[in-house]
Amino acid sequence: MGNENRIINGLLKLHIAFCLLFIFAPIAGSFVFSLNSDRFPSLPLGEFSTEWYRLIWEDSLVWQGFANTLVVGVTVAIIATLLGFGGAYTDFRYNFIGKSFYLALALLPPTIPVVILGLAMLAFLSRVNLSGSTISVIIAHGVMCSPFAMAIIRLRLSQMDPDLEAASWNMGGNQWQTLCFVIIPFAKPAIFAALFITMAVSFDEFAVAWFVSGLNETLPVKILGFLQGQVSPRINAIGSLAFLSSMTLIILAQLLLRSPEETKS
Amino acid sequence: MKVNAEMEQQSDPIVKFGNVVKRFGDFTAVEKASFEIGRGEFLAIMGSSGCGKTTTLRMLAGLEDPSEGTIYLDGEKVNGKATWDRDTPMVWQSLALFPFLTVQENVEFALKMRGVGKEERRQRAEKWLEKMQITEFAGRNINQLSGGQKQRVALARALVTEPKILLLDEPLSALDAHLKVRMQSVLSNLQKDLGITFVYVTHSMSEAFSMADRVVIMSRGKIEQIGTPEEIYHEPYNRFVAEFLGSANIFDGKILGPADTGGWQIAYDGGETVLPQNELPDAHPGQTVTFIVSAENMRLSLPGSDQSGIEASVVGEEFIGGTAMVFLETTTGQELKVQKSHDELSLLNLHAGSRVVVHWAPESCHVLIGENV
Amino acid sequence: MTKRPTLFSLILSMPLLVWQLMFFLSPLLFLVTISFWTVRNFQMQPDLSFANWGRILTRGVFWDAYLRTMVLATAAAAITSMIAFPASYAISFKMSEKAKRWIIFVLIIPFFTSYLVRVYSLQVFLSDAGVVNAALGYLGLGPFSMLNNAFGIIVGMITLTLPLVILLQTFSLNFVNRDLIEAAQNLRCGRLRTVFAVIVPSAKVGLVIAALFAFILSFGDFVSPLYLGGGNPPTLSIMITDITKSGQQWPRAAVVAIMMIITLLTVAFAAITYAYRERGK
Repeated sequence: MGNENRIINGLLKLHIAFCLLFIFAPIAGSFVFSLNSDRFPSLPLGEFSTEWYRLIWEDSLVWQGFANTLVVGVTVAIIATLLGFGGAYTDFRYNFIGKSFYLALALLPPTIPVVILGLAMLAFLSRVNLSGSTISVIIAHGVMCSPFAMAIIRLRLSQMDPDLEAASWNMGGNQWQTLCFVIIPFAKPAIFAALFITMAVSFDEFAVAWFVSGLNETLPVKILGFLQGQVSPRINAIGSLAFLSSMTLIILAQLLLRSPEETKS
Repeated sequence: MKVNAEMEQQSDPIVKFGNVVKRFGDFTAVEKASFEIGRGEFLAIMGSSGCGKTTTLRMLAGLEDPSEGTIYLDGEKVNGKATWDRDTPMVWQSLALFPFLTVQENVEFALKMRGVGKEERRQRAEKWLEKMQITEFAGRNINQLSGGQKQRVALARALVTEPKILLLDEPLSALDAHLKVRMQSVLSNLQKDLGITFVYVTHSMSEAFSMADRVVIMSRGKIEQIGTPEEIYHEPYNRFVAEFLGSANIFDGKILGPADTGGWQIAYDGGETVLPQNELPDAHPGQTVTFIVSAENMRLSLPGSDQSGIEASVVGEEFIGGTAMVFLETTTGQELKVQKSHDELSLLNLHAGSRVVVHWAPESCHVLIGENV
Repeated sequence: MTKRPTLFSLILSMPLLVWQLMFFLSPLLFLVTISFWTVRNFQMQPDLSFANWGRILTRGVFWDAYLRTMVLATAAAAITSMIAFPASYAISFKMSEKAKRWIIFVLIIPFFTSYLVRVYSLQVFLSDAGVVNAALGYLGLGPFSMLNNAFGIIVGMITLTLPLVILLQTFSLNFVNRDLIEAAQNLRCGRLRTVFAVIVPSAKVGLVIAALFAFILSFGDFVSPLYLGGGNPPTLSIMITDITKSGQQWPRAAVVAIMMIITLLTVAFAAITYAYRERGK
């Protein structure tokens, strides 16, 4: 029984390793290829080279795209987190007629294919003369990112003893004071995590941007442009930088969300 | 350790634990457990949480493997034998009924696992549903049943294969007091009807004592005493058992010498008393001795009467049905409890702070053998 | 308890509602509207014409793409679920709490890292002269054609959905009552049989929802079909971009988009109904 068990467990562990390899190979590959001299990387790998990084460093369009991505990312993160916090608190505190409609509206955007969302927004925003501007990208990303912010903050609020708020009211704190001195401090890690995650989502979300933005392309849109034209290891270099930035954000967010009990053990 | 002589001699026990040890990492859950369970016996394993009682049961079920020692089940050594290869159905504390199956399907489960045909499965399940008086719920979802109904489904599910032994892990703990008492008699009668062995783990003394033929008392992984409820109640083996039962006063004393009236003269903190000879057959003067006097055998007098005994003051009292438990504190700080009828107490006219004299007859004393070896 | 909403509650709840009504629901409703519009001289004109619907729904090309997308997404969801299950099972049942937390931590990362760049990297892995074929070449195998076909598309979709499916499955398996597993084994159910007789039914809701998410993501995905499948023959998402780019036929693209949303809603409804269906009266 013991032996059989060990074999099964070994096979299962091997399978997990295989899944992780499958998931992370493209990411690791991107880093390796970006530092490889071959135009079209294959086995055996070519020489080590930072040529592709030099090329993108010197490309002003990449810098422009990077600046746009950053502006959009930060703005979207702030807007989505504010919206998401309001939604999360509303769901936590209130019961009202039509609440399920409210929640559906707040949380459904990630389940709609980005192509469709992009098409609908471009059609609609051009109708109200908002298309083609950075604003339109921010609006679209706000729709897509706020559900993530809301979910993260809502999860944190559900860990809060509901009596905390009542205790604050009982001691004379009005709703606003309670919000500032009890709710927000309690939800702070989740609020920062939401900021980071929504920024990462905004970084990665290219399809909507592709449809919506005209002149002010963000970085992923630039990648798309590259992809359609030619195969270039420059994409790997840009992609690796994009990976690094989103991974940093996600890791930071997750570290913030680890509860103190968890970090102890 | 006192072991019921009759059971000890049973030639063909259904379960035999030989020096069984179970460790989880550094923690020893069960230490050198040795005991036997007779065929058709209702055995309760009792102790507070973490005492190793559930681990003992789980080793018997094959859900844990002992770290040391041997377990025999129906004459066969079962160490290392998976639970699915044993015939030791269990009733869980959570009941563990399958919520994705109907009542009938739950009861049929074990038969299905044994490859019993559909028609026979249905018939045998129906027989048990009827026996447990839950036929009308056969097609129901588990979540729609009450606590007592679920209990019956769990029993039917475990018994449908007609095993020789049934394991029960605190199955009544989730029920309210009234239902608990009713299910106790259901279980008792069921065990007598079927004539099979029940091994019942509980932390409740009233459950164990009211149903079991014998009770195993465990603490911190060790077996403290095995015996019939009467034996354990009247002759607790050691301080732990006496404290666990909670109804006796424990005294530490020293043998002064033979008493004038026969037996031994004992000095303890607060007074002197006489212990009958048969409680201490081979004692000698100077030996320390721990003995108990149960609360209902304690007597109370008012100071000034010429009765000798320990002086104490009343701390408070608690009503227990037709009697009351009076809590006292001696001048040396020992706490005592005395159980008396309300009539008797009203004659004494006690209130908090009242001074009384506590005394008892020598034959009420019982020596804790486990403390004097 | 319906009280008059306070200013406080309105300030917190309204911004999200207004934002999503204006920028999420309105565009989708607008999409429905323009599906009845007509295009003249590359300009959309308000109208109430069923011509777009008739044109799309009577085209074999559309139904071919529809069927292809359905098959691809269903296959991707099924394959991902099957690959994920042993991993989720091992994570949930065989790992220490600490290892569990680490692997969840690690699996969340790729979900938020650019899918597009990952697919680009996959292209390098899977091409005829790429890394995988070169590695297989050392073993004397291949080369296999892994790009511009259904294989490439499904590999891409699995890349997209596998981390999420493992996470969702793991969470649902974590909630499986351990007593049920022991109870089954105690009643003579062997280990492998327990997986199918107890664990899968207990975690049914989570497993179905995980597969549903895989289906939704794959069904709407256009990165894999475009870059790993070559874009031709098209899936529905590619059809939308193609129609949009050629001649401003937005109303027709809207029809395709609405058909996609209807399909997704139907599948989601069916899956959730199936997931929550209970046995017995």
